[in-house]
Amino acid sequence: MRTTSVVLAAAVGGMLFAPVFGVPALLLAVLVPALAVLLVARLCDRGAALRDWRPLCTAAAGLLTAAQILWWPAGILTPRLLPSLRTGVTESWRLALQSTWPARPDPELLVFVPLLVVAAAVLGVELVHRLRAPLPALLPSLALVVFTQLYAALPPLPATVAALAYAVPAGTLLVAARPAGARVSWTWVPATAALAAVVLAGLALPDTPPRYTLRQDQVVPLDDTALTNPLDEIAVRLRDPDAEVFRVGGDTLPDRWPLVVLDAFDGVNWTPAATFRWLGSGLEPGPGVTVRVEERTAEITTAGTGGPWLPSQSWPASVRGADPVVVPEHGTLLRPGPPGPARYTLRWWEPRVDVAALAGAEVDPDAPGGLNGIGEAPAGVAVLAREATRGLRPSFRTALVLEDFLRTRYDLAVGTDLPTGHGWPQLTKFLLENRRGTSEQFATSYVALARIVGIPARVAVGFRAPAGATTIRNGDVLAWPEVAVRGVGWVPLNPGGRPSTTPSATGGLAAAAEQARAGLPAPDDVRNPPLGRPGPGAPASGRDGWPGLLLLPMVPLLLWPIAAPAAWGLRARRRRRRAGRESVVGAWAEVRDRLRAHGVPVSSAMTARDLAAAAEPVTDTATGDELRRLAATMDRSLWSGRSPDHEQVEQTWAGVRSVRRALARRGPRARVRATLSLRGLLPPR
Amino acid sequence: MTEPAATRVAARIIENVQRIIRGKPELVRQAVAGLLAEGHLLIEDVPGLGKTSLARCLARSVGGTWRRIQFTPDLLPGDITGVTVYQPGDQRFVFHPGAVFANVVVADEINRGTPKTQSALLEVMAEGQVTVDTETHPVPRPFLVVATQNPIELEGTYRLPEAQLDRFLMRLAVGYPDLESEVRVVLGDRAGETPDDLRPVVDLGALRVAIAEVRALHVEDLVVEYAVRLAAATRGHPALRFGASVRGSVALVRAGQAFAVIDGRDFVTPDDIKDVAVPVLAHRLVLTPEAELGTRSTGDIVTEVLSSTAAPLTARGR
Repeated sequence: MRTTSVVLAAAVGGMLFAPVFGVPALLLAVLVPALAVLLVARLCDRGAALRDWRPLCTAAAGLLTAAQILWWPAGILTPRLLPSLRTGVTESWRLALQSTWPARPDPELLVFVPLLVVAAAVLGVELVHRLRAPLPALLPSLALVVFTQLYAALPPLPATVAALAYAVPAGTLLVAARPAGARVSWTWVPATAALAAVVLAGLALPDTPPRYTLRQDQVVPLDDTALTNPLDEIAVRLRDPDAEVFRVGGDTLPDRWPLVVLDAFDGVNWTPAATFRWLGSGLEPGPGVTVRVEERTAEITTAGTGGPWLPSQSWPASVRGADPVVVPEHGTLLRPGPPGPARYTLRWWEPRVDVAALAGAEVDPDAPGGLNGIGEAPAGVAVLAREATRGLRPSFRTALVLEDFLRTRYDLAVGTDLPTGHGWPQLTKFLLENRRGTSEQFATSYVALARIVGIPARVAVGFRAPAGATTIRNGDVLAWPEVAVRGVGWVPLNPGGRPSTTPSATGGLAAAAEQARAGLPAPDDVRNPPLGRPGPGAPASGRDGWPGLLLLPMVPLLLWPIAAPAAWGLRARRRRRRAGRESVVGAWAEVRDRLRAHGVPVSSAMTARDLAAAAEPVTDTATGDELRRLAATMDRSLWSGRSPDHEQVEQTWAGVRSVRRALARRGPRARVRATLSLRGLLPPR
Repeated sequence: MTEPAATRVAARIIENVQRIIRGKPELVRQAVAGLLAEGHLLIEDVPGLGKTSLARCLARSVGGTWRRIQFTPDLLPGDITGVTVYQPGDQRFVFHPGAVFANVVVADEINRGTPKTQSALLEVMAEGQVTVDTETHPVPRPFLVVATQNPIELEGTYRLPEAQLDRFLMRLAVGYPDLESEVRVVLGDRAGETPDDLRPVVDLGALRVAIAEVRALHVEDLVVEYAVRLAAATRGHPALRFGASVRGSVALVRAGQAFAVIDGRDFVTPDDIKDVAVPVLAHRLVLTPEAELGTRSTGDIVTEVLSSTAAPLTARGR
């Protein structure tokens, strides 16, 4: 039992990598090696000759099983796979940190988990056999638990469940390690109280992000020199409009294919303020998206002329056929290594929003990067921003007004003499002087003006996809601003386009924004949307609290199996610790409450003798005699005017134990029911 | 715990009485408790159950004087208290003591006496003295009235006034004996055993000491408070016109002391108070007319009060 407990504790520790890899990926990878260690350890224990070889045997069994389980798709483990194994052992922990979570359950990423479990199990088994005290044997698994939390600290509630799961083998080990014949001491009381405290803390603590994780120091190392900025290439691409960039295939294709999102501007350059990570097994829409989302899929084949960037969407879900790096907040996909043709299947999440709701929506100032700095804006530009938005407060309607301002007062440059540049000098010239530019100037100017008036915005660079088009060419290149809308996420706009632009048949966010803009009144008649209206995706009033409210009554119910025994134990201990007469009274009250919990009808009007009589149906003759003796002792202690001596107190509590033993003979069902009974914990009426 | 000397006195009396009164140990115990508490007893039940025998047995078991008064409608107060008679030879009035001048007075069929005659007992039962013609004459101590009455007859009887009832420490009901006990009673009768065959087993001195010991028995304040709470609970009871008097609270504690002594304890427990509550309190309560028409008795009311009044326990025991 001790060996099993130690190995199980290590396995529980390994399963705490669930936020990193997901539970299904860990089940085999953790449990099978742990089982191998356990079986071999038990086997070694049977023969004295094998006992000395136990560490080696268990470690070998665990490692071989782990390797075989992970590389099973590649066949039986052979020397051919050793390089992969070596890389996995040395790099997997780092690759897992550099990935989005859940990470892909590839052996190269996952292998460190079963290795750690095997190490903790083997060490624990040796400690439990070599040391008399059981607690040191838990240290390896405990260290593993701590390590998992440095990876991904669990939120309070899952952490509570994890703590309870770990407490099971740990508690079993402590109980199993007792000397033969020893009775369970009172330590179960603080242990139970600690468990109850853990559960309560899990429910009470706020779910805040961890202050530190190993992950924050780990990003995919990229060669900056290979990262061309697609914004710089717009003019170049427009000079060769017919060159094919990529092809797409799918049922419902979007009207935009962003390559990169740029949200940092220092006055000269627009760059992505982002952390690049390996794309794991899947992504979910960001927390800012609360509207309904639809899953879309497209087959993409690139010609390899777009640099390392891969056409993507704002909320990619997964990529099959490529192993890209992703900026989760942007949806930007990037393929490290030398550029070349690529073919992959992109699955993404498409937010669905009602046009009317979008038109009255609020912007989301908390969207990451939306209100990043813009350097030192020229004074004229700031004045222009306020003039363009007509003093309206930041809202999506204001964003549309600003879009309309640029659309109607500025010209889109076409032909060969195209302006370039997107720093403040170029933008100032565009905004205040020549008023002509490509989508590069339109998008970057828009974002700069929007941020000046408090609208969160960023620049996206990619390609437009005309309706029905499956081949995207250089001439489709486009830079556009995206505005963060509360509940919807990033909504693309097109300040350089003409109002006559045909909305996409897919009904994407760009089309919804276009329709919302079309529904705006004349610029002078635009008013601020009313405050306090629920935005798109906002739950109806009073609905969001319902699930929590419904769960609230369940909380005591869930806690009760732990809290009730703890309450019994604590109260008995408190009563036992009293002195003299009060201790005798406490003993009697303890018996009274135990009997009540076993269904004996008790009222405050009953004396000790009455209770002894009332308990006869649930007790045997000997217990009845014990109760009467107890009643007599209590009467003598309480009413004779003489304080009971130590011996009397001890006799009384011995009587309590006798009664409890007698009640325990009523069977496990009655015992459980009595322990969980609320009646015995409340004062009698 | 030391056994009080009064316990041995009580045991001797109980054993002696039970030679005649068979199959009624609780009744005998209660009667002896009344004796040790120096309280008067009203034994009430249907005819032929041994009320008078019990009273006579008690009287016979105690050394000292005892008198029996058969209450009849023509009984006069002077027959009870005594009269002052002019002595021509001495040319002065001389007091001739009545029947109450004894240690144990058996007032048989007390409700057949007129109210005027019954009220002759009021002073002596409460104060242990008789006042005749402005002269007060103390009765010998200990002084105990053991009265019997038949509750089912109305013709020719007079209901005892509340003031009179309140002076009785306990009202005891004899009840029918079980089969075995009744057989033994019949066999005893065939053998000619009567209360007159009993010899005193306790002399007056020992009885006085026992009574003093009972009165001095230790009672915790919480137990006294419990007794008072019980009595007080009857006062607000909706089925009662009058609840227990203060004398009732005193009687509860005193009877409880006697019970504790009989049990061999030198302290009183709440159980003692519970045990004596019905015989001590029930006859002091007056039902409302509505309750009287129903099936509830004052004994039921006391039982109800007992089950709804919290028994004493230290606060931390809760």
